[in-house]
Amino acid sequence: MSTSKNDILQGTLTLLVLKTLATSKRMHGYAITTHVQRVSDDLLRVEEGSLYPALHRMEQQGWLKSEWGLTEKNREARFYSLTAQGRKQLALEEVSWARFTEGVGRVLRYV
Amino acid sequence: MSWLRRLVNTFRPGLNRDIDRELSFHIAERAEQLREQGLSAEEAMRRARVQFGNPIAQRERTRDADISGWMDTALRNVRYAFRTLTHTPGFTVTVVLTLALGIGANTAVFSAIDAVLLRPLPFPDGDRLVLIEQTIEGSSNTAIAPARIEDWNRQSSTFEGITGFYVDDAVDTRGELPTRLRRAFVAPRFFDVMGVSPAAGHSFAAVDHHYGGPITLIISDRRWRSLGADPAMVGQSFRVGPNSIETIGIMPASFEFPAKEVDMWSADDIDAPWAISRALTWHTGIGRLKAGVTLEQAQADLSRVQAGLASQFPNTDGKIRVRVTPLKDTVVGGSRASLWLLFGSVSVLLLIACTNIAALLLSRAAKREPEIALRYSLGGSRRAVVGQLLTEAGVLACVGATLGLVVALGATRALRTLAPQLPRVDEIAIDGRILAYTVVSTAVVSLLCGLVPAWRGTRGVRPRPSPGRTQVSQRHSIQWVLVGVQVTLSVTLLAGAALLLRSVDALSRVDRGFDATRVLTFHISGTYGWETTDQHVQRINRAIDEIRELPGVESVAITSTLPGVRDEQQLEFALAEGRDRSSAPLVAEHRMVSPAYFETLQIPLLAGELCRRPADAGGKTGVVTEALVNRRFADLYLADRQAIGLHLTGGLDTLIKNGHLFGAPLPTRIVGIVGDAREHGADRAPSPTVYTCFSAPNPAPWHLVRTSGEPMAMATAIRLKVRELEPQRSVYDVIPLDTRIGDAYAQNRLRTSLLTCFALTALGLVVAGVYGTLSYAVSLRRREVALRLALGALRSTVVHELMATTVRIVGMSAAIGLVLALLFAQSLTTMLYGVTPTDPATLTGVVVVVLTVAFVAALVPATRAAFVQPMRALRED
Repeated sequence: MSTSKNDILQGTLTLLVLKTLATSKRMHGYAITTHVQRVSDDLLRVEEGSLYPALHRMEQQGWLKSEWGLTEKNREARFYSLTAQGRKQLALEEVSWARFTEGVGRVLRYV
Repeated sequence: MSWLRRLVNTFRPGLNRDIDRELSFHIAERAEQLREQGLSAEEAMRRARVQFGNPIAQRERTRDADISGWMDTALRNVRYAFRTLTHTPGFTVTVVLTLALGIGANTAVFSAIDAVLLRPLPFPDGDRLVLIEQTIEGSSNTAIAPARIEDWNRQSSTFEGITGFYVDDAVDTRGELPTRLRRAFVAPRFFDVMGVSPAAGHSFAAVDHHYGGPITLIISDRRWRSLGADPAMVGQSFRVGPNSIETIGIMPASFEFPAKEVDMWSADDIDAPWAISRALTWHTGIGRLKAGVTLEQAQADLSRVQAGLASQFPNTDGKIRVRVTPLKDTVVGGSRASLWLLFGSVSVLLLIACTNIAALLLSRAAKREPEIALRYSLGGSRRAVVGQLLTEAGVLACVGATLGLVVALGATRALRTLAPQLPRVDEIAIDGRILAYTVVSTAVVSLLCGLVPAWRGTRGVRPRPSPGRTQVSQRHSIQWVLVGVQVTLSVTLLAGAALLLRSVDALSRVDRGFDATRVLTFHISGTYGWETTDQHVQRINRAIDEIRELPGVESVAITSTLPGVRDEQQLEFALAEGRDRSSAPLVAEHRMVSPAYFETLQIPLLAGELCRRPADAGGKTGVVTEALVNRRFADLYLADRQAIGLHLTGGLDTLIKNGHLFGAPLPTRIVGIVGDAREHGADRAPSPTVYTCFSAPNPAPWHLVRTSGEPMAMATAIRLKVRELEPQRSVYDVIPLDTRIGDAYAQNRLRTSLLTCFALTALGLVVAGVYGTLSYAVSLRRREVALRLALGALRSTVVHELMATTVRIVGMSAAIGLVLALLFAQSLTTMLYGVTPTDPATLTGVVVVVLTVAFVAALVPATRAAFVQPMRALRED
């Protein structure tokens, strides 16, 4: 697989979503975007166009499960939560992300 | 299992709505947030939407994550195919019906092949069962002496067991009226070799095969049910004359060997006085091979054993050879070649139908060229378009195959009615195997029909919308190739059908050597149990004398074997006067007949005189004294001497049935020579035959009555007469002789009519193919033709030119078809009679018919093209 810029972003989005859902019980898509934005102090913005295809793909892969429910404002929304498989995946992605940043960092530190 | 979920999602109708709800929630939340930041409701909504992007594209992308892509494409293609196909109902119905008939007929014939030929016999390890025949130098198969079967079984090393059997009529005397039964007499080990034990009771023990031992019966399930299905029947004894017979077992319903109609099995006594002789023969041999033994090994082993016996018993075994063949081959018999022939022709027919449909789809694809060009220009790949066109063919094939299964169900039912004498016909059914076969053939048909149109239809199309006017395309040569294939294949089919028709015709013209019209056949029941041989003879003679006196009866005779049907009773005779040792054995058909047989069947007496009843000839009632031989016998064996006056000996085996000795041992005197009659089938040259004159070959022999009028009209009078004479006897199996002979050839006729039907259908498809292709070619050249006519070309030139193309292509294909026919006709050799597989007249006739038909089919579109109105055609489009 080629490591184009897109792929890295794609992989990052997966990691962000998994991590976000790992900290809370269940969340809808909009909440995920606001959570990432808030926690990253506006450094990261989830591109909305990529979010839903990613969520659905992750669900098909068995990392997430979804159900319809009501928000505090009584609106119908689709809530996602992490599955056991998703937790495993999160651990894997965290390791590979650490290695990735470590690798990039070493290259950048090299003079 | 994510692929499975995706597959399910592909078909989920609510998926889009679900996604839309989810996405619009997101936009609504975003808009609310923006509103809270102070924007107007309208502006907030607008900004939220802009930020989110094109909702339809988003929905599509999200959906793509949920579904299986190829399945979605396939589904869309199928939907599109259905839509376009319903726009052309005429085309669709034609193609679907053609395929339904083609696939249906193919499936039906395959189900017959599967049941009759492919599946093992319904016995455990049925593939290890073999038929063991003995052949005598220079003659066909003969029955086997029980003693020889025992020797084979003892001395061979490749068989688990060798046994034998013969089937005889029996009479059930329990009821008011005696009923006729079929009883198989079996050598030891019979049920072990077959691998089937009685469902209740037990099979024969050694003592049952001992002469003077208990007489025991194992009855068929059918017989047991007809007797009331009493489980206590096993172990019950009943008396027949001086004998006590015990029923010791009941066979399972599935066991139908050696014949479906067998009611019971009895143990043949291996040490009876007549069973010890190696010259007395009546068994058919069967054996079970040890696991892993090949046919060749078994054949070599048994040949070695028989060679040993030949040197040990040179007189009786010297000239005997053995032959081992799979038992299935015998059961299946002559139907193997017929079934493969039908399967071959029905497959060729399907192939013709496929080429026909391919040509139709091809012109359809050509008409859709603008659409395809548009798709290309919008970025559609050729692969996608090919997929689309193939799907269309697939949809047609699937719908056709579904209807085809209905056709196949009907056809197998019809086959069971039309061919009841086909072996294992009851086993034919449409089951999982057949369904799998249909699925595979549907896939093949889709590819056959769709591949060429999809490949050619998408090639060389330029990715730009076509201008308003249809372009003249030169790409119809492939269609003529398809027409050529149709013509070639149908010439082959027609040649086969024509040869078979010629054979049936030749058979109907053949001089059988006897006259079967106005002859009624029947039995009068009789039993071995109560009468002596003399009493049989006297009773039967009295009955035929009385029936002879009925008005409308011209003559009455008795025969052991029905004339004109395949029933061989070959025996080896000897001459009391002695013969040259080196000459061929006197193997001949043996028939026991009453003297009036020759008058009844109108077989001419050529020399000497007719035989007389033993009593009239000065002998004892129950002793055979006189015989007649046919001309072939005299010419073949006695050419160098005066046949009349010689004495025949041997040939005893059919005289011994159930331990009853009928007639004293020969010699019988040859008193005359009669004409050759085709006793065992119109298609079999008369073989040497000995007729011994005796009225009671068995207690219920065949009666033949020559009537002056319609034979069945005499049935009642005869029944009444017999009731008057013998109130306790029944007259059964009353059928005219020519009907019986006709039934014997039913398979032949069915095969011929089916093949003819296929061939005519093929011819019809050729007509459609030529007509359709030329019409299409003409429609493409319409403007060109119009222009030429406007410029002064002659209409006749145009017609001539179009016809020339057709005739050239059809002629060339017919020539190729002729070559194929010559190659394949060799496989018909055994089914032909009175015509060679390469008969020039038949083959020429076929080619002439095909050319004529194709010519006529082409004439219509060619003429229509020439009579186009130039100005109108040029203004069109």
